[in-house]
Amino acid sequence: AAEARWLTKEPLEVNYLLQVRSVLLYMVVSSSAVPVTDLLDRASQRSDKLHALSTSLSQELNSHLPLIGRVITPRPSMCHTAALQTPTDKTQTLQLSEANLLSLARSLLQAWMDPLVDISTSANSLPHPARNIISNQVQELQEHSKSLEDGLDILSRKMGPVAQTISFLPYLRGNDISQDRISSLINLQFLMSCFRRDSHKIDSFLKVLRCRAAKLQPQMC
Amino acid sequence: MKEVMEEAVLLFLLLVIYTPDAQGTRYSPPGKPELTRCRSPEKETFTCWWKPGSDGGLPTTHALYYRKENSDTIYECSDYHTAGENSCFFNKNDTSIWVNYNITVVASNALGSTFSDPVDIDVVYIVKPNPPEKVTVTVMELKEWPFLRVSWEPPHKADTRSGWITLIYELRVKLEGDDEWEMHLAGQQKLFNIFSLRSGGTYHVQVRCKPDHGFWSEWSSTSHIEIPDYLHREKSMWILIAVFSAFIFLILTWSLHMSSHRSLKHCILPPVPGPKIKGFDKQLLKNGKSEDLLRVLVVSDFPPTTPSNYEDMLVEYLEVYVPQEQEVLLEESKDLHDSCLKFEGSTSDNDSGRVSCDSHTLLMDKCGEAKEEGRQTDQEDSTTEAEAQGQQKDWDQDTLMYANGDILSPEKSSGRVKTWPSVFSPLPQYTLSLPDQTSSLEMAKQHCYSDSLFCPGSTSSYLTHLGNNDNETLGPGSWEICLSNRQPYSHIPQMQTCQQVRSHSDVNISTIARKQEPAGLPLPFFRPTAYVEVQRFDEEDMVVLQSIVSDHGFHEGFPQMLQQEDYSKVKGVDSNNMLLLQTEAMKEDGDGTTPHKPTAHIHTVVSTQDEMAQPASGYVDTATIFTLPTY
Repeated sequence: AAEARWLTKEPLEVNYLLQVRSVLLYMVVSSSAVPVTDLLDRASQRSDKLHALSTSLSQELNSHLPLIGRVITPRPSMCHTAALQTPTDKTQTLQLSEANLLSLARSLLQAWMDPLVDISTSANSLPHPARNIISNQVQELQEHSKSLEDGLDILSRKMGPVAQTISFLPYLRGNDISQDRISSLINLQFLMSCFRRDSHKIDSFLKVLRCRAAKLQPQMC
Repeated sequence: MKEVMEEAVLLFLLLVIYTPDAQGTRYSPPGKPELTRCRSPEKETFTCWWKPGSDGGLPTTHALYYRKENSDTIYECSDYHTAGENSCFFNKNDTSIWVNYNITVVASNALGSTFSDPVDIDVVYIVKPNPPEKVTVTVMELKEWPFLRVSWEPPHKADTRSGWITLIYELRVKLEGDDEWEMHLAGQQKLFNIFSLRSGGTYHVQVRCKPDHGFWSEWSSTSHIEIPDYLHREKSMWILIAVFSAFIFLILTWSLHMSSHRSLKHCILPPVPGPKIKGFDKQLLKNGKSEDLLRVLVVSDFPPTTPSNYEDMLVEYLEVYVPQEQEVLLEESKDLHDSCLKFEGSTSDNDSGRVSCDSHTLLMDKCGEAKEEGRQTDQEDSTTEAEAQGQQKDWDQDTLMYANGDILSPEKSSGRVKTWPSVFSPLPQYTLSLPDQTSSLEMAKQHCYSDSLFCPGSTSSYLTHLGNNDNETLGPGSWEICLSNRQPYSHIPQMQTCQQVRSHSDVNISTIARKQEPAGLPLPFFRPTAYVEVQRFDEEDMVVLQSIVSDHGFHEGFPQMLQQEDYSKVKGVDSNNMLLLQTEAMKEDGDGTTPHKPTAHIHTVVSTQDEMAQPASGYVDTATIFTLPTY
């Protein structure tokens, strides 16, 4: 039932028809166990959307960043999630087990829950011409993340204890609150670039998982 | 000296060689190269291209150096040739994903080297796959309509099987010679059908693909396909249909045209029936000679002498239906549009001038001997009135009322009551017939005799018929026959109808307990005899008839006559202005009009009215009563 609920949850669509559809889907789905393939399909759709959102937000921020900002942008190796060991090429990725892949995805996602809150806060007070747009997109980002997290949580219960392991990645808050405008902007952009990559990782892992689970449906991959 | 000379020549030569260049070939270090793009076709390898700057006049070489994110080790590109000129190909071993590459290109020549601007890339963000491969286009048919089926395969390098890359496809189609392409997004499927094709054309089809977060590939090479010629098949069908429908349309218009001359016109605009009176000559009327007109209207051959003719005439039956006590049903045949039979359920009101049933004034079956003038029966029963209205027929036919066969002998089986003819010459004969099926009072109909005899309020006398002469009062069952020259009541709708019929008729009215009594009206209530006498003369010049409890011999026949039909027939009007009524003893007599017995004398106080001059007024012309020949 929980998975059915997650499957039908549409965090952002307020569309009435979609809600009706969700209700109907829920009623249909709740009567029986949801297959993993459907859950994975749904999860990968969510992660795809999440990454697309982060990409657009990142580009929005970059377009207004002063040139000097680009120079002194911290390197991605300084992302707080860099500590997590993730594969760096296809071979390594495909060698991972499904449980590992899911665990990695969940760890990454979990690691971004708090930073997203910070991003949202600083986006609201951003000295940026497109502040409202950015603010809205960050809001969307948060909702999608939450939804995906719930779904992966449900998935992990079906895939064993390894999948349920989450690596804890501490997030160190920004130093001062009283950063100057450029600094806050740069920081924000840096965070967004980190998040963009991590969301791409999550998306890739889930899509590999999806194809692995859908051996009976070759048309999906 | 010679050495100096040689050096001078050398210098001179050098100067000559090097100086005459107008642009001044100055060697310089190479210009700054520029990394144009880096692309990865499958997220496993990637290539970077640069654009060299000026070479500074000297042979320039380029080198690409890169540094990975977490280390400071600088690597140089190991493959400058695979991807062509000014490119660097990173093979699988050198490619890491989710890792930032810092890439720089250096151009060097003899005089120096120039570095390009560094570029940071992440391989996963620069994916641009190769175009789809093995694009096949076939023409297929679905119910005679052709469509294109396009199928393809992902680029062989892209690993979609493991889910490493997720590709979505798009194709475009256009007719040969067109400028614009028709785009179709195919999603993740590798098969697509294109409909709405034009027959006989050549189509160009192309497919491309895109990873979920990357760039669109180039279009595949064009596939050409020719659609077979279905053109004439579909066009000829339409031509056939058009010709056929035009043909049908022509036929329809022609038939309409032909029918419009006759029947169509009649269908849409039926001719309005006009009054027709037999013997009525419009010309006479126009001429203003009313006397001639009236003379003509006095039909000499009424009533028809030959009984055999009656069937040729329109039969009108006046059936009086008496509810409850009486089951006298007078029903007017539908032809009797011009006769009004007023059936009053209640006691008569004073205005109507009718006599209630209580007064026993009517010439119903009881009053067999009662003679009366022709009556005009007014029916106030709205239902019958309406019915009578609806039953107006052509005047030609309606003017003829005939006595049913034997005037004096109503047919028992038919249950007809012959209405009195009243003495009126213009009165047609009415036969009151009791319908077999009438069973209730409600079925009493208003028949407004178009004779205007039945127009209430006429100056003539009214006859109220009571079906039941006995103690029962015909409360609801009374009906009146109004003979009045008065202006018809407003509620009588068919005033105009009253004008029409003028003929004699022997009307036998009888209350008949029908052979089948549907409503279960008590048969015993029917009295065989009803005696009517003129009770009084109303202030409206109405003859009020009162039935006389007879002491005639007929009375004893009461019980037996239940089943029999009683007829009261106006025998005639004698010189004393009396209506001679007679009861019919012989019902089966057929045509005979032998009066059975005059049962009552009705003293009629009939005032001659002026309406004599109004033959068409619909009123009973009492004056004419006296002129009527008795029969």
